[in-house]
Amino acid sequence: MSQKEARHIVTLIENTPFAGLSEAELSVIRIHTADCHACRLAFEAAYVSTMMLKERARESVEPSPFFQTRVLATLREQEATESWSLDKLWRAAGALASSMVATVALLMVLTFALPATQESSSRVNAYSPEAVLMNEAGDDLSSDSQVLSTLYGAEEDLVK
Amino acid sequence: MELARSARAGDESAFAEIMRRYSPRVFHYASRFFRQRNQVEDAAQEVFLKAFTELGSFEGRGSMEGWLTRITTNTCLNMLRSSKRRPELTASNLTEDESTWLDDQMTDLAAERHRSAERSVVAADLAGRVLESLPPDDRLVLTMMEGEDASVREMAELTGWSESKVKVQAFRARRRMRRAVEKLLARKPSKQLQD
Repeated sequence: MSQKEARHIVTLIENTPFAGLSEAELSVIRIHTADCHACRLAFEAAYVSTMMLKERARESVEPSPFFQTRVLATLREQEATESWSLDKLWRAAGALASSMVATVALLMVLTFALPATQESSSRVNAYSPEAVLMNEAGDDLSSDSQVLSTLYGAEEDLVK
Repeated sequence: MELARSARAGDESAFAEIMRRYSPRVFHYASRFFRQRNQVEDAAQEVFLKAFTELGSFEGRGSMEGWLTRITTNTCLNMLRSSKRRPELTASNLTEDESTWLDDQMTDLAAERHRSAERSVVAADLAGRVLESLPPDDRLVLTMMEGEDASVREMAELTGWSESKVKVQAFRARRRMRRAVEKLLARKPSKQLQD
């Protein structure tokens, strides 16, 4: 038996479902496998495979009486989880909006209230040497003697 | 279609009725993929949960049974692909009953004389173990085409594959199954094929 023919038998088995093999094909296989051990093993394996698969196809698993209840309970659970997630999302969005409003309010405070505070603090230091010399406060409340004492006082500080 | 519409509108009893009608079919198909009962039940549950969320895509052109069968096939294939565990089956793993069954098949190759309920269970279980060692697509093709006698066209409709892909897949699956079984049979010298 040539290698080519041996391959043909195996190909025949693999190309067609076992149950679909015709009587003529089976007879060719029988003649061939009488002399060819490798092909006989392949044919036996194909036969046994088909027998096993047929037996398996006869088996069937029936649904348990609790199956419906189990699926419906899981569905309800899933729906509850989904609505809870939406609720959570809604709350998170609310928290985000609140924090944005708070940030805007803080920025407004920093923009408008803080410069006013700085202005008032600069008024407190209106008698600093620089402010007196440059007359930054723009008022004439300080007398000449105050100016002189401030000026010489500042010079003495520098010498020290 | 009416049931599907009601279920889609949130009628739980309509969905329960769909399950009552079609769960035997879904279980039948899911049991082609899995050996353990709890695995079959988990797969069937997944199928109905998916069906519930995808009820909107069921337009009623085909049958609901066909629609659910396709969902079952895809769900089971995905579950098998994600598990990735394919235990190798060797001759040393065979139980005594399985070895005896294989021996009997060899001595009685052409006829099915010794068929009994007990032997059927052994054969079906052995088939499950061999299939478990094969890729998920092979498992599907072998179960449907060799076990259930599905045609190439039916397989193509069920899986969404082209007919040529089904043929190629079937060829490869038969080869892999044959080789796996050959290893089991080769544990003892083969006896002469009988008519």
